[in-house]
Amino acid sequence: MWIENPLSTSPTAFPILECIHIAGFGLSIGMTALVDFRLLGFGLQKQTAAEIARAFDGWMLAGLIVAVFSGLLLFSTDPDMYYLNWSFLIKMACLLLAIAFNYTIHRRAVAARISPAAARLVACISLALWILVIFGGIFIAVVRPGLT
Amino acid sequence: MLISFLIWLQNLKPLVDLRSSAYVYPVVLALHLSAISLFGAMIVATDLRLLGWALRDGSSADVIRRMRWPKRIGFLLAATCGFLLFSSKAEEYFYNPFFRIKISLFMLVAVHALVFRKSVYRDPDLDLTSEPPLRARLAASLSLVLWLSILCAGRYIGYVEGRSGMHFK
Repeated sequence: MWIENPLSTSPTAFPILECIHIAGFGLSIGMTALVDFRLLGFGLQKQTAAEIARAFDGWMLAGLIVAVFSGLLLFSTDPDMYYLNWSFLIKMACLLLAIAFNYTIHRRAVAARISPAAARLVACISLALWILVIFGGIFIAVVRPGLT
Repeated sequence: MLISFLIWLQNLKPLVDLRSSAYVYPVVLALHLSAISLFGAMIVATDLRLLGWALRDGSSADVIRRMRWPKRIGFLLAATCGFLLFSSKAEEYFYNPFFRIKISLFMLVAVHALVFRKSVYRDPDLDLTSEPPLRARLAASLSLVLWLSILCAGRYIGYVEGRSGMHFK
């Protein structure tokens, strides 16, 4: 039996989900950026990068969870379009890389287990990966549908 | 008067190019959102400290002071991209109800900054000892509500159908 996705029939569901999605990823990416900028020597200099990360880790994770779940609901409104969209696929690849990077190499840099120079490189890679995720998301609406 | 200025603005050559570009326009939009993420996190970080929910080992005054310039730079980045997006379709934005709401909310942000300037944002001794005072928590809560509303109003701008009869070159 075919059941219509209620999110697709309501005209208000999609934009509200988008607002929640933006607030979620803004929180998680921005909080990570605060840590990254601290690794680069800017921002909250009274605290170490590890202290900033400890203060905001929960908020970063909360934002990420909100963004992922609202994202899954947005995806559910038109899955064919999304999984055939190369910008979406690049976004997902960057997202997985960014999350993996965040909880492995990035975590070591924040805990100062690598040299400050290497930590600065890690901060730049982290910022680049997360910003690529945002670009991938915006370009979903721009690239031609289909993997051609 | 205002309308004729907006029509003149949106038909400047670089803004016509921006409006008709398939790729530059979304790049500016993505940069706008990236700057919002950064700026938004700095707002949330400051507000969480003012609420006493994070970074409690340092004072609010210190967090506010250290975030002041990064916030200004982040806002300038977001505002520059936002102005480009607006000015390339200035006439259409002028009639967009959510754009008007967004601009009104920015005015409220300015009022908020003026109201709490002395008692919170420029108070060098803010909560050096105990819990954050009520005025700090009030300022932080209002700030969060205002910026979240701005975010939603911004997203809803794109859901209003463009009018016909716009003076696009």
